[in-house]
Amino acid sequence: MYGELGNKLVQHAKRTQALAHLPPYQAETVRAVTREVRDLEKDRASTLESLAGSFDPSTDPATACALLVNHLCQRRNKRCMLAYHRVRSDKLEEMCWSGIDVLERQQQAGKAGESAGSLGAESGNTSSLSPEEEEYVRQYSDLLAAYKGQWTDIDLTGSLEPPRDLFIDVRVLKDAGEIQTEYGAITLTKNSQFYVRQGDVERLIAQGYLQKLG
Amino acid sequence: MDIDDILAEALHVSAPQETLDLQELTRAWVAERVAPELLPYPDALMERVLGRIRRQIETVEEQTGNMDPKTNFKLIVIQTELERFKFLVRSFLRARVAKNSAEYLSLSESKYLTAHQNLLASHYQSSFLSQFPNSLQKLDDTQGGISMIDAPDPDTAVFCRALRDVGEINVVGTGRAFVMKRGDVRVVRWSAIKEKVLAGDIELV
Repeated sequence: MYGELGNKLVQHAKRTQALAHLPPYQAETVRAVTREVRDLEKDRASTLESLAGSFDPSTDPATACALLVNHLCQRRNKRCMLAYHRVRSDKLEEMCWSGIDVLERQQQAGKAGESAGSLGAESGNTSSLSPEEEEYVRQYSDLLAAYKGQWTDIDLTGSLEPPRDLFIDVRVLKDAGEIQTEYGAITLTKNSQFYVRQGDVERLIAQGYLQKLG
Repeated sequence: MDIDDILAEALHVSAPQETLDLQELTRAWVAERVAPELLPYPDALMERVLGRIRRQIETVEEQTGNMDPKTNFKLIVIQTELERFKFLVRSFLRARVAKNSAEYLSLSESKYLTAHQNLLASHYQSSFLSQFPNSLQKLDDTQGGISMIDAPDPDTAVFCRALRDVGEINVVGTGRAFVMKRGDVRVVRWSAIKEKVLAGDIELV
C-alpha cells in the first residue's frame, strides 16, 4: 500500500528519538520510498499524457481522484523522508555538541563488527551512518567549531547544568593522562579520586573519563 | 503613573548597572527558554556582560598563584560568580541556537544558521531528494495541503507575569479577554502577549 514504507520510516524515527545511540540507517527503506515516489510520478505522467491536455475533473471524477491521491502520496512520502533524515541529523548534532567524536566511534564499532564478522556472525558494512551522514557530521563539526570559536570565554559546549560548586569530587574511570590546572598538574590514573575545579574537567566528564561524585 | 511606578523607578536608578544587567540577562534567559519564537538579541547587554566576563577572567589569571589566603578567598568568590555568569550566557545562547529561526539574529548567529541550513539542504539533497522527481525537490513548497515547512507554534501556552498594569489582553480567536495588573501571573497563549513581552511590560517566567 502506498505510504506504508514512509510510515515505517517515521516510526523508526520516533523510536530513534528515545534512544541514546543512533540505530543503523535504513538505506533499504529509503531506497524503496524513493522508488515508490518515482513510480507514482510515472503513473501521474502517463495519466496526464493520456488526457492530452484536456481534462475536466467534474466529468471524470475517478481520474481526478486518482491524480489527487497520487499527488498526496508523493508529498506524504517526501515529508516522511525529511522527518526521518532530520531526526537523525538532529541526533548527530546533539552528539557533536556534547563532544562525542561520532566518526571515531563509528570506526571503532566498525572494527568490532569486523572481528565479530570473521567469527561467522554478521558481515558487511557495520557503520550505522550513511555515507552522506558521515559527511554531514564532518561538516557540521567544522561549523560548530567555528561558531564556538567566537565565544571562547563562555565555552558554548560546556555543561548546561547550573553550576553549584566551583570544586567537585571526581573519580577517574579511564586513564586520562596529565591535565594542567591553576594549582599545578594532576595525573589522572584509573580509580583515583580528586577534588578539582569543575571547569577544568568538564570535557573529561562529558567524554566519560571522569565521573562526578556526590 | 501611580506610587508603585514611582517607587519602582526610584529603585531602578539606585541599583548599579552590574545588578541591572544580571537581572536583565536572567530575564532574557528565562524568556528565551520559554518563548516558542526567537526573541530580539540584546546586543548592548551582551556586550557589557561579555566584557565583564573577559575582565574577570583576566583578574583571575593575574592573581592566581598569589598565596595570600585573603586573595585566595576572593578569587574563589570571583570564579564562582564567573562560572554562574558563563552558565547563564551559554544556556541563553544555546536556547537561541536551538530555535532555528530567521528573525532577531545576531550576526554570528545568522552566519551559523545560514551555513547550517545549507548543510542540511545538501544533506537532504544527496541522501534522497536528488532521486526525487524535479517537481518535488524544493524544500519550501507548501502545495497539496502538506507543508514542508516547520514553524514555531505561536499559540503555545506560556507562564507570564505583568511588570506593570497592562490593561486588557485579548486572546485572538477565542473571544476571551482579561485584565492584567502589575504582579499578576497567568498562563496565556504566546501570541496574545508577545507584543507586551517585547515592549518589556510583561515578563515570561
